[in-house]
Amino acid sequence: MSNSFSETAAATRRTLFTGGSILLTATGFALLLHSYSGQSLFWPDYIVIALFPLIFGQIAIGFLLALFGFWDWVRGGDPFHLMRRPWREREDTIPLAATAIVIPVFNEEVERVSQGIENMWNSLTKTGQIGHFDFYLCSDSNDPDHWIEEECAWLYLCQKLDAFGKIFYRKRRHPINTKSGNIADFCRRWGKRYRYMIILDADSVMSGPTMVRLVRAMEANPEVGILQTQPSMVLGQSLFRRVLQFSNAVYGRIFAQGCSSVQMSSGSYWGHNAVIRIAPFIEHCDLPILPVPDPRRRHVLSHDTVEAALMQRAGYEVWVAYDEPGTYEEGPPNMSDMLKRDQRWCAGNLQHFWFLFARGIEMGNRLQIWIGLMAYLCSPIWLTFLVAGSLGAYDRARFLAFSAGPEDLGASQHPEAPFLFITTMVFLFLPRLLGIASSLPQAKRFGGLFRLLVSVAVETVVSVLTAPVLMLFHTFFVLQAVLGWQIKWTTQNRADTGLSIFHCLKLFGWQSILGIAGQFLAWSYLGLNSFWLTPIFIAWLFAPLTAWVTSWRSLGLGLRAWGFFLIPEEANPPAELDGLVINDGEEQSQTPASLWPQALLCPYVQAVHLSMVRHRSSSHSGIIPAPSLAKLSQRLIQQGPAALERKEILRLLWNTETVFWLHGELWSRPDALLHSSWRALQSDSGKNSLLRQYLLVE
Amino acid sequence: MNTTPDKTADEEQAVWNQAHDRLRDFLNAFALGDHAQVSLLTLKLLDQARELHRQGPSLDPVSLVMALVQKKTDEWFSSNLEMRDQPASRLFSSGCVALLLSRAFRAAPETFLTSPLPEKLKETMHQKLLVTGPDLKISSMTPRHIDYGPMLGLAKRTWHRWNSREIIIALLFWAAVYFVFYWWLSEAL
Repeated sequence: MSNSFSETAAATRRTLFTGGSILLTATGFALLLHSYSGQSLFWPDYIVIALFPLIFGQIAIGFLLALFGFWDWVRGGDPFHLMRRPWREREDTIPLAATAIVIPVFNEEVERVSQGIENMWNSLTKTGQIGHFDFYLCSDSNDPDHWIEEECAWLYLCQKLDAFGKIFYRKRRHPINTKSGNIADFCRRWGKRYRYMIILDADSVMSGPTMVRLVRAMEANPEVGILQTQPSMVLGQSLFRRVLQFSNAVYGRIFAQGCSSVQMSSGSYWGHNAVIRIAPFIEHCDLPILPVPDPRRRHVLSHDTVEAALMQRAGYEVWVAYDEPGTYEEGPPNMSDMLKRDQRWCAGNLQHFWFLFARGIEMGNRLQIWIGLMAYLCSPIWLTFLVAGSLGAYDRARFLAFSAGPEDLGASQHPEAPFLFITTMVFLFLPRLLGIASSLPQAKRFGGLFRLLVSVAVETVVSVLTAPVLMLFHTFFVLQAVLGWQIKWTTQNRADTGLSIFHCLKLFGWQSILGIAGQFLAWSYLGLNSFWLTPIFIAWLFAPLTAWVTSWRSLGLGLRAWGFFLIPEEANPPAELDGLVINDGEEQSQTPASLWPQALLCPYVQAVHLSMVRHRSSSHSGIIPAPSLAKLSQRLIQQGPAALERKEILRLLWNTETVFWLHGELWSRPDALLHSSWRALQSDSGKNSLLRQYLLVE
Repeated sequence: MNTTPDKTADEEQAVWNQAHDRLRDFLNAFALGDHAQVSLLTLKLLDQARELHRQGPSLDPVSLVMALVQKKTDEWFSSNLEMRDQPASRLFSSGCVALLLSRAFRAAPETFLTSPLPEKLKETMHQKLLVTGPDLKISSMTPRHIDYGPMLGLAKRTWHRWNSREIIIALLFWAAVYFVFYWWLSEAL
């Protein structure tokens, strides 16, 4: 397909989409206004009328995206898509270019990350193209145990795969600008050595053939700057994660297909499982500083959307390869962890507001930014809408009670109101039906038709129960971001460890109280009219229970054994996912022993650490330990490893001469001059877990 | 470390036991495949330490034996890696990494601290070097100018005019006005 055809198709689709969204929203708005006609309006009604287009517009956008996606699925894919262009016919003949696979990590589960690298290495080796790929494990971990374990895991991988000079480890001393800073650091140091980089998250895995194909797509289409894949959510064990990955498999695809169909060459970038052309990325995509007065809030938190916008501003295309197999990620294991993630995403997405009106940004990007903003802004809007709607209903009921005149019974009794309600329900649930329809041809891989439908029904119940809970939290997150409270980036928990009931009560208990109080007030003041709100109050009431039960690993696995919430990847497990389920719930109950003290005691662990940080040694005074670390070292020797704070340990571990000095002191001081914990650690140093797990493995 | 000169025999035995345990743990940390070799080395080094202790009884046995084993380790690494005039920390870490990667601690544990490694293993040890990253090829990556459009001007003006204290005072003022007005309408009238 020629580019002009593609541009015409893009223009037509965008016009249809934008026009359709406006038309549907306007129709819904007209129905709402009609339903209010001929009756007195109270002040809350004006709020409802003002907010309605925003909420209904979002629903209409989702509905249209699903329609576009379904249409694309019905006709067997988008003929104008990058991955369907003529280059595919000569795909195997396209030579590859040097590509770095960059994996930024921050206190992630090291065993899981290294297993993922091993699987990808093996998969690439099978393609025969491993020579074109190098791996970079770029660490910002600020937990000493993770740092030391990462170093040992890196050596283990290099040894096991004979990959010295192919797998690299980089630890930043000052993790400026979090993940985007980590990637920029890679680009500044080694970017010139490669034409492409494949960015992965710690929980991402991609198959060798997919990576090879993506690089070839980039080689064949030099106008493309970023090629994003649509990763499948996999490896879920808890009910929550299994429900998420199931809904992602059933509905996610048509939404992604719809987005791609509308956006085409101005697609999205999600920060991982994507291949990037490095030269323009270095030249054009360093993140700008936000124009806010507080210097702590000038860094762009969610970098991906902005990078995609900057790449397109520079004249390069961004595509989503929505139907590429062999690209995987993991979801949050429970509601609590999803909220942690949402808190970060919300703060990041709201920052994108600045780019909504920035000059030089493509329309497709502005649309993406708008959708991202509304994903979180919809929550406070929805909450305000509900409160205002309830107050309006109360005012109307009170007015009727005191009115002797033949006033009507309010908006909900108008003939337009049921029609509007039905339309809203269609907009909300038809995309789900389309998702199910698109999954039917492979129903067997979802456990069969019956199990697929039962799973969909249960997933719908879980969604109905969680949506109002998320609404309250998202409202809080929006307020938090707007009021400027500092957001800390934390490590995402990827283990299906389950939540304690106490944690759930602490986190969600206030919603139960709100649910009871809300239902009581609604019943007292609105009477039967309150039944519209009952599903929301029920969701709030049961929030702790929902969070607790859905975090159960045993329930998720039990349902899996019965064939519910199955995803295609479980019917035919790909080799790239072998051995990636590391932690089970039982393991988490034990507190693991601290690992970093072995960097001071175990000769091998210490040697690996010293070799890795030697070139950055800061001790040039000849006085050992370094004067700034002398007191710290004495405290460590006399009071044991537990006496030091995390930051103090990190300072100490960065100083190679002091680390070596401590090694000598800890081994040669008599027991009386050492804290008792050191003796146990010394006895353990010949069989410590780092040796057993990484360094002594044959 | 000095020991007090008037130690009883029991105390003397206790500190030597301590020295033995410490030395054994240190040697075990090298994960040698031959356990008997560890025991032999322990006894041999302890004997040498006792001899030194007889010449200087004020020295603490633990410190003495550990100084001895550290010295032996440095010498052994130095001879096998042919690394001369290197700082002790570099020699020790390079030696341990080479030992680990060449698997010499498993292949020739009997040579550990006692005799040179077989030539083949020595060569392997020489080859084993860690490469944590390829040579740098520095690029300059700096943000390009972006015009944030009309919102920036609007926001800047707002920030220049308002501060949080003024906003709070204004809110309190209008809340007070509202409540007075509400009270007047509902109660006073």
